[in-house]
Amino acid sequence: MRRIETEAIVIGGGATGAGTLRDLSLRGVRAVLIEKSDIASGTTGRNHGLLHSGARYAVNDLESARECISENRILKKIARHCIEDTGGLFVTLPEDDPSYHGKLIEHCRYAGIRCEEIGVREALRMEPNLNPEILSALRVPDGTIDPFRLTSANVLDAQERGASVFTHTEVEEILRDGDRAAGVRCRDRLTGEKIEIYAGIIVNASGVWGQRLSASAGIELRMFPSKGSMLIIDYRINNKVVNRCRVPSDGDIIVPGDTVSLIGTTSKKVDYDRIDEITVDDDEIATLLESGEKLIPSVSRARVLRAYCGVRPLIAVSGEMDGREISRGIVLIDHEKRDAVGGLITIAGGKLMTYRLMAEMAADLACAKLKAGKKCRTHRTPLPGSERRVDQARSVKFFTGIPNSVVGSTLYRHGHRIRNILHREKRNYGLICECEMVTEGEIEYALKKLNVRDIVDLRRRTRIGMGPCQGQLCAYRAAGLFVKYDSATSDESNKMLVDFLEERWKGIKPVLWGDALREVEFGYWIYQGLFGLGDVRFEEEAEKR
Amino acid sequence: MRYDCVIIGGGLSGLTCGIRLAETGASVAVISTGMSALHFSSGSIDLFGYNGEGRTVYRPFEFLDEFVGSNPRHPYALCGARQVREALFYFRGQLDLEGIELYNNDESNHFHVTTLGTLKPTFFSQRSVFNEKIRLAFEKKSMIAALNFEGYRDFYPELAVINLRRNVLFRNIEIITGKIVYPDYGDPQRNPFEYRSVDIARIFDTERYLEELAVQIRNAASGAAFAAMPAFLGISNFKRHHKLLQELTGLLIYEIPTLPPSILGMRIDNALKSRFASLGGVYIAGDTVTGGSISGERLESVVTENGGGSALSAGSFVLATGSFFSGGLVSEFSRVREPVLDLKVYSDAERSRWYAPEFFPRRGHPFLEYGVETDERLNPKTGDGRRVKNLYCTGALLPYYNPIKEGSGGGVAVSTGYRAAELILEGNS
Ligand SMILES: Cc1cc2nc3c(=O)[nH]c(=O)nc-3n(C[C@H](O)[C@H](O)[C@H](O)COP(=O)(O)OP(=O)(O)OC[C@H]3O[C@@H](n4cnc5c(N)ncnc54)[C@H](O)[C@@H]3O)c2cc1C
Ligand SMILES: Cc1cc2nc3c(=O)[nH]c(=O)nc-3n(C[C@H](O)[C@H](O)[C@H](O)COP(=O)(O)OP(=O)(O)OC[C@H]3O[C@@H](n4cnc5c(N)ncnc54)[C@H](O)[C@@H]3O)c2cc1C
Repeated sequence: MRRIETEAIVIGGGATGAGTLRDLSLRGVRAVLIEKSDIASGTTGRNHGLLHSGARYAVNDLESARECISENRILKKIARHCIEDTGGLFVTLPEDDPSYHGKLIEHCRYAGIRCEEIGVREALRMEPNLNPEILSALRVPDGTIDPFRLTSANVLDAQERGASVFTHTEVEEILRDGDRAAGVRCRDRLTGEKIEIYAGIIVNASGVWGQRLSASAGIELRMFPSKGSMLIIDYRINNKVVNRCRVPSDGDIIVPGDTVSLIGTTSKKVDYDRIDEITVDDDEIATLLESGEKLIPSVSRARVLRAYCGVRPLIAVSGEMDGREISRGIVLIDHEKRDAVGGLITIAGGKLMTYRLMAEMAADLACAKLKAGKKCRTHRTPLPGSERRVDQARSVKFFTGIPNSVVGSTLYRHGHRIRNILHREKRNYGLICECEMVTEGEIEYALKKLNVRDIVDLRRRTRIGMGPCQGQLCAYRAAGLFVKYDSATSDESNKMLVDFLEERWKGIKPVLWGDALREVEFGYWIYQGLFGLGDVRFEEEAEKR
Repeated sequence: MRYDCVIIGGGLSGLTCGIRLAETGASVAVISTGMSALHFSSGSIDLFGYNGEGRTVYRPFEFLDEFVGSNPRHPYALCGARQVREALFYFRGQLDLEGIELYNNDESNHFHVTTLGTLKPTFFSQRSVFNEKIRLAFEKKSMIAALNFEGYRDFYPELAVINLRRNVLFRNIEIITGKIVYPDYGDPQRNPFEYRSVDIARIFDTERYLEELAVQIRNAASGAAFAAMPAFLGISNFKRHHKLLQELTGLLIYEIPTLPPSILGMRIDNALKSRFASLGGVYIAGDTVTGGSISGERLESVVTENGGGSALSAGSFVLATGSFFSGGLVSEFSRVREPVLDLKVYSDAERSRWYAPEFFPRRGHPFLEYGVETDERLNPKTGDGRRVKNLYCTGALLPYYNPIKEGSGGGVAVSTGYRAAELILEGNS
C-alpha cells in the first residue's frame, strides 16, 4: 500500500473540486485531488453548460442571481477559451403568462443584470429559427461554458503548480483519528492499488455523492437528488441561448454548444440509492422535444444525437432531515463546528457557474484551519489556455500549412495552449476524428498532459467521438494510439474500446430512432460483425498498468 | 421505359438476382442510390457461423438441413436448404468469371482473422484471406509477420496480435509485427497520415511501386513465412499484383479486413457490376426509387427521384434495398416502416424493445431482425394487407434472421436474391 502525506486533500474532480485544487495551489498549499472516475464525469459533465447571467434566478432567488452575474463577469476574463459569449434571449410564447416578462426586467435590475427589451423582429433577425409567434423578447448576458475544458484547465494549472491528481481512484473511507478526520483510504479502480493519504485538511467536494462519503466518517449529510435530462441535437440550430420567459419549468431552454444544440431540462425526484443508475425516460424525451419545438420549430426535424441526465445535488443545510430547509445556493460546512469532527469541510450545492466562488470559500476556510496560504487569486489569474486572447487569423497564419479548420478547432478547444499542441509535422496534424477535427497531436497531448486514462476520458478532453457519427471509426484509432504512445497495453486498449462503446450506448439508446438507429446498426456491424469485439476474452481485469 | 424486371437496390442481393435474370436474356434494370453494405463488409460471405447458443457451426449445410425445418420464417427456410447451396455455388461461379476466386473449405466453414485478431467462421473468402497454402503453412506453425504502413491510422496490428496469441489455434506460432513506409507517391499536398484503404489500394495497383514494396515487406517480415497485411493490396490489378508480390518476396501475403471502406468488399462489388453489365443489364446508379403504383395484386411501375416523374414499368420487381443502414427500412420515434411502398413490416411497437440494454449483448439486438414480412414466395403485403404478387423482397431487408448473431448476412443476401430470380423465371415459363 502506498502512503502519501500532503497539506490538503480534495475529494471530487468536478468543477468545484478542481477549482478548489487550483485555488489552494495558487495560494501555495500542497494539495492532492482524488476523483473516483474521471475529471468532470459527475454532475459537472452532465448539465447544459449555461453560463448564467443570473436572469433565470432573478425572480425567485436574488442571491443566486447576484452570484451568477458577478461570476459571469469573472469567468469571461479568466476562462475565455472555455466560454462563448453568445448572449441570451428570454422569449414569451402566446400561451405564457405575459406578466412574467415585466417581473423579470424588474428583478434583473435589482440583481444588477443587464436586461433589455428588444423587438420581436429584432429577435428573429438574431435567431432566425426562433418561433415567429413569440410575443416579446428580452436580451441578457447569458453565454455558454464548456464544463470539460473548464475543469481540465483548472486541474492542469494546479498540476503545473505542483498539485497531484489521482483519477479513477475512489475514496473508500475518510479515516478518523479521534475527533479529527486525518486522511483518506483510496483504491485505484483500474489497477486495484490501495493508497492512504494524510493531510491537515480534507475538502469534500464530491457533489451528490457527499452523503455516502460523509457517512464513512460518521457524519450525516442529507442530499435530495433531483434528476434533470437533456437532449443533444445534431445541428447548432441557435446561436444565442434561448430561454422561455416564464416561471422555471420543464423544457424551457435551448443552449448552443460547439457544433450542436442542447434542449434542457426536466426535474424528477430520485431515490438516493438510485443516483448511479438513473437514465432518461421516454416521457422526458417527449416533453423535451415538444417544448423545444415550441421555442424553435425546426427541433422536430432535427436528429437527436444523445440523451443524458444529471443529478442536482440539493442539500439539507442544518441537521434537519425532512427536506424543508433544502438550499439551492452554495453550502459550505465546517464539520468541526457542525459535527465536532475536525479537519473536514464540505463544499456543495451552487452551480457550475459559481464553482470558482465555491472554491474560494472552501479554500479560505481550509487555509484558515491550516493557518497557511496566501490570499485568493483565482478571480484575476487566467486559466491555462486563457492567458492571452488569441487571434484566429494570426494563429492560422502562424500555422500556415496546417488546414485552417484544424487550427480553428484546436484553438477553440485549447486556446493559447494551441502552441503546445500543433506542429507543422504531418503526423501531428493528421486527423483521427473527422467529425470534431481531433488530430493525432491533440490526442498525444491529452494522453501526456491531461490525465487521460481511457477513451471515455479522452472524449471529455478533446471531443473525440462526440460528433454526428459518435466515434464510429475514431474509437478504434484512439485505442491504437493508446498503445502507440505507451499509455496502455494492447489488452487494456481493447478493453477500453468496449467500455467506450458501452458508455456511448447509454446516451444513444434512449434516442434510438431515425439516423441514430442507422448509425448504431453500422457501428455494431463494425465492432461486432467485423471486429468480433464482443467475443474478446480479456486477461484478469486488474492487470498492472 | 419497360423492363422484364426492375430491381430496386444494387447491393449483394440485388446484383446476384440481376445477374441470374440477365443471364437468361431478360431485360433487367438495377436502380441504386449509393454504396451498398459490401463497401463496409469483411468481403467474406458468411453462410451460418453460430447456432442458437452462440457456438460455432462447423458444417453449415448439414446444420441448415435441420435448422430450416424448425425455423420456417427464416429467409433460408423460404429458399430451402437445397437452393441455398445452389445459390452460393452459383455465386462463386459468377465471381470466378470475373477473376475473383473464392475459397471454401469444402462443405465446412473456415475461420478468417478479424481486425482485432478474433476469428470468425465464414464460408467463402477471397484467396488472399484464406486458401490451402495458408492452411498448410498454418498447420506447420510457420512464423507470421503482421505488417502495416507507418502512420496508417486504420489498422493497429498490436491490438490484433494480443488476441491471436491467446487463441489456442495460434498456440506455438510466433507472431511478430513490423512497419513499412509509403513509397514516394501521390499528391504532396495530401497528408499520408490520413490515407484510407482506398488510397493505399491505389499504390498497390500501380506496378512501379511493387518492387520497392516487395523489398520492404521482405525485410520487415524478417524470416516469417507469412506476411499478414491490412486488406488494401489493390482493387483493379489486385490479382496480378498480389501474385507478383508473393513471387518477389517469396512470402505468402494475406489480407486482414480493416476499417471501412472495405477493399475486399469493393472487389466483389466491382466484379458483380461488371458481370451484370456484360450480360446486358442496365445499372442506374445514384438514383432513388421513391414510390410505385400498385393496382390489384401487382406493382405496375415505380418512380425515382431523378426520373422527372416518368415511371419505370416492368413485369416483375425486386426490392433489395437493405436494412436501416442502406435506407431499406426507416425508423421513427415509435415505429419502423418501409419507405418506398409502405409495405408491412415486422418489428416491435415498443421502442424500448428494439435494442438490448448492453451494446454487446449475448442475445443480439432485436432491431437487426426487423424487416419486410413476406410469404414463402418472398411476396410482401401492403400496409392495408394486400399481397403484391409480382414484387419480391430479398437480402438485408428481410426479417426473422439476425445476420450478426448467426453470421449469415452474405449468405442470406445471395440466396434470397437468387431465389427471387428463380421464382420470377418459374413464373415466366
Ligand atoms: C440537469 C442539470 C443542469 C444543470 N445546468 C447547469 C447550467 O447550465 N449551468 C450551471 O452553472 N450549472 C448547472 N447545473 C448545476 C451544476 O452542474 C452543478 O452544480 C455542478 O456541476 C456541481 O459540480 P461539483 O463539482 O460540485 O459536483 P460534481 O461534478 O458532481 O463532482 C463531484 C465529483 O466527486 C466524485 N466523487 C464522488 N464520490 C467520490 C469518492 N468517494 N471518491 C472520489 N471521488 C468521488 C464524483 O465522481 C464527481 O466527479 C445543472 C445541474 C443539473 C443536474
Ligand atoms: C459493416 C458491415 C459488415 C458486414 N460484414 C459482413 C461479413 O463479414 N460477412 C457477411 O456475410 N456479411 C456481412 N455483412 C452483411 C452483408 O454485407 C449484408 O447483409 C448484405 O450485403 C446485404 O445486401 P443487400 O443487397 O440486401 O443490401 P445492401 O447491401 O444494403 O444494398 C442495398 C442497396 O439498396 C440501395 N437502396 C436503398 N434504398 C433504395 C431506394 N429507395 N432506391 C434505390 N436504391 C436504394 C442502397 O443504396 C444500397 O446500395 C456486413 C454488413 C455491414 C454493414
